[in-house]
Amino acid sequence: MSSIKRRFRWIYIPLFILVLIYLFPIYALVNTSFKPTEEIKYGPVRLPLSPTIESYEEAYERLKPSLRNSIVMTVLATLISSFVGSITGYIFSKFHFKGSNILFLVLIIGFYIAPQSILIPLVLFMGRTGLYNTIFSLVLTHVAYGVPITTMLFRNYYDNIPDELIDSAVVDGCDVPKIYTNIFLPLSLPGFAVVMIFQFTNIWNEFLYGLTLSQGVNSQPVTVAVSNLKGTTVAAWNQICAGAVISTLPVVIIYMLLMNLIIKGLLMGSVKG
Amino acid sequence: MILNTRNRLYITLFLIPACVLVGLFVYVFLSWSIKVSLTDWSTIGRMGVFTGLANYRELFQNDPVFIRAVKQTLILAVLFICLTIPLGVITAILLDLGVKGQRVFRTIYLIPLSFSFVASAIMWSWMFMPNQGVINTVLRSIGMGFLAQPWLTSTTQALPSIVLVYVWQFSGFATLVYYSGIASVPETLLDAAEVDGVTLTQKYTLIILPLQRPATLTVLLLLLMYSLRVFDFVWLLTGGGPAYSSEVLANYMYRVTFNYNRFGIGAAISTFMFVLSVVIIVLPVLISSIRKGKEKTA
Repeated sequence: MSSIKRRFRWIYIPLFILVLIYLFPIYALVNTSFKPTEEIKYGPVRLPLSPTIESYEEAYERLKPSLRNSIVMTVLATLISSFVGSITGYIFSKFHFKGSNILFLVLIIGFYIAPQSILIPLVLFMGRTGLYNTIFSLVLTHVAYGVPITTMLFRNYYDNIPDELIDSAVVDGCDVPKIYTNIFLPLSLPGFAVVMIFQFTNIWNEFLYGLTLSQGVNSQPVTVAVSNLKGTTVAAWNQICAGAVISTLPVVIIYMLLMNLIIKGLLMGSVKG
Repeated sequence: MILNTRNRLYITLFLIPACVLVGLFVYVFLSWSIKVSLTDWSTIGRMGVFTGLANYRELFQNDPVFIRAVKQTLILAVLFICLTIPLGVITAILLDLGVKGQRVFRTIYLIPLSFSFVASAIMWSWMFMPNQGVINTVLRSIGMGFLAQPWLTSTTQALPSIVLVYVWQFSGFATLVYYSGIASVPETLLDAAEVDGVTLTQKYTLIILPLQRPATLTVLLLLLMYSLRVFDFVWLLTGGGPAYSSEVLANYMYRVTFNYNRFGIGAAISTFMFVLSVVIIVLPVLISSIRKGKEKTA
């Protein structure tokens, strides 16, 4: 094997070129965000001569309410959609009844349908129920469209837990909720970690529902607020870039710290779908 | 296992939240959208009058922008897939050839996926700007200014530029899926092949790549799904322009509905997108899961 390794030393070249391609836009973004306004005209590649965090302070000041909205929305929607996915996936994995496979497919199809297909009724519904422009409308929407994928992820996860555990629990007189709380919930913690991270990153980054269901600081998530930054402040690129960094940093940090769980979620969500 | 009535009741209770949510937000909303698409509803406050398939006729016969949006959505999907999958395969093979620090490379390649589309769009509009932008500045500074491009401001380059951003964002995911697909090829199979004296090229083309069909299906499905619903980049980078040259279905649907308040037409585009996603995504998923189910019971 070591001879193969020596023969293929050249492959580091394309791999590093790819690193450059993937990271260069990020470098330009971060670089610009630390520049004072008068240095922007020197272009995005040159390092700032007098780096400053002024743009961050200004962008943060503007994004504060929407960051709070995003935190509330994402935490609530992640917790609820993961929990609902867990109990639903548990039933579909362990209790087969007539038509259960079809019902399962009917549920998870929701994941594959383009959100634009239901967008008009979604807005009408939120308008009629008085939920439009509240954080709750976004939580509800993210839970509803998160449940298909969390159900699928948890069913795949529970499929790896042997059925015998249930049989012996039934002999011991446990019923469906007891089996869940006593056996499956404790065994679910790794599953919850994967699913919750998957949900958190997706919901935090989501744009379309935020754009359609919110107006102004009441309920606007940070993705929408950042995109407005781009529309309103003319050419204050350092601020826009700082805003983009602030808005996306939580998810980037999660990716860096929990890469293994992220990878598990990506592969689970897709390979078995 | 035989379930008594109490446990059957519990099962129903456990399924109610998911069924109510998905039932309302997917199925009720889909039918509602179809209903709206059969009306001429176009002003807030006034419900539309039933006009049958008039909106669909209007779209397919009298709306060149819609036809363009359909074509461009498909072009975007094809370009996106044809760039992302080979890039993913090649990168995964390069990593598999035994470089040091595979995990570090893989991690770096996944970073773009962690960026929100909004942050990416901001980053890339900064990259693409014709005068101050990153790409053209770099080209000029290394003496290749003649390669500088108008990018998003050109009618021929806007759509391909958006595809590039998409490839940037998702190719790391394709690499990951192929990388783990290649890693899951049984070691014994490769050892046996080595005993038989296959060359390295044969090892990949004859043994490893044919086993990557599930990985390809996975990636293809996800890329198709995202190319059909591509909205954020178009909305934020070009708005569908210049001169409709990067208009796609999702963006057009949004504009028609929420900027022009033509709800009937917007709903008709929604319904068309739904049909499209059923044909290219839902049906393949159903067929493959039914096949899997048959294999299991057989």
